[in-house]
Amino acid sequence: MSRQSMRANDPKKVSGELFTLTYGSLVAQLLKDYENVDDVNRQLERMGYNIGMRLIEDFLARANPGRCYDLRDTADKIQQAFKLYLGVSPSIGSWSPGGDEFSVVMETNPMAEFVELPEHCLGLRYSNILSGVIRGACEMVQLEVMAWFIADQLKGDNMTEIRVKFVKRLEDAIPAGED
Amino acid sequence: MAVCVSVIGKENSPLYVWVGSGREELHLHYLAHTGLDVIQEKITSVTKTPGDTRDLYLGLLYATEEYKVFGYTTNTRIKFVIITDAANTTLRDNEIRMMFRRLHSLYTNVVCNPFYIPGHQISSREFDKGVAALVAGN
Repeated sequence: MSRQSMRANDPKKVSGELFTLTYGSLVAQLLKDYENVDDVNRQLERMGYNIGMRLIEDFLARANPGRCYDLRDTADKIQQAFKLYLGVSPSIGSWSPGGDEFSVVMETNPMAEFVELPEHCLGLRYSNILSGVIRGACEMVQLEVMAWFIADQLKGDNMTEIRVKFVKRLEDAIPAGED
Repeated sequence: MAVCVSVIGKENSPLYVWVGSGREELHLHYLAHTGLDVIQEKITSVTKTPGDTRDLYLGLLYATEEYKVFGYTTNTRIKFVIITDAANTTLRDNEIRMMFRRLHSLYTNVVCNPFYIPGHQISSREFDKGVAALVAGN
């Protein structure tokens, strides 16, 4: 655990390892409470949705990105956000022929460092919070998308890959409430 | 070349024991266990001198005709025991220290796994791979 970190002297910055450990204990506790892997996946996605709804405001204020004219712009903004908040540089790829689906591919997942999934929860989507964040953030800018994991390094794949699919543009300014 | 690597917990329960192939497992388990007494002795004798910063590496615990037993302890009372062939004189003290340091960092990686409960047996694949690399690389 002795990594030299180039920490800025910003009192609001938190060590990456503290974040990883916090998220890890959150997932472990959720598993203990719900005991059902699908419920945990759902809760993580919901938590991510709530985070995304709020995070988008911060992102728009900080990065001041322009208007997105098509899905490719949106994909670029998502890439920017990952860089800003997680410190990873994902690549965008695997565009569907209709241009309405794409993949965010990460080579390292800082939230899942040191994590190894035990045998009894191999169906757990450990970083499912990220798919929720994408969905929540897009919904606040009137864009309904679906986001889900199609590859995860914790399950033995080479890369961690989130698939994002455009569903529709929301005309209603108020997003649908959570149940 | 290490013949046996073991991680022993706070209450002196074994958390992980790796034995090289073709070796007598039971005998090596026994040697690691007797090493614990020596570790206990070393820890209690040093803490009686206050202000002395204790070294984590405990050095050669004891040697038998066939094997040499080395020990290392952490501040959280986790003990590592490495057993090597007595005939192997090429292993220098420095190399053993390096092995323990790497073992310690492998152990901290296991502990950071949110699904690992400290005090339970270690069944991590990464740890297995790390230990295999550790004994092969030296």
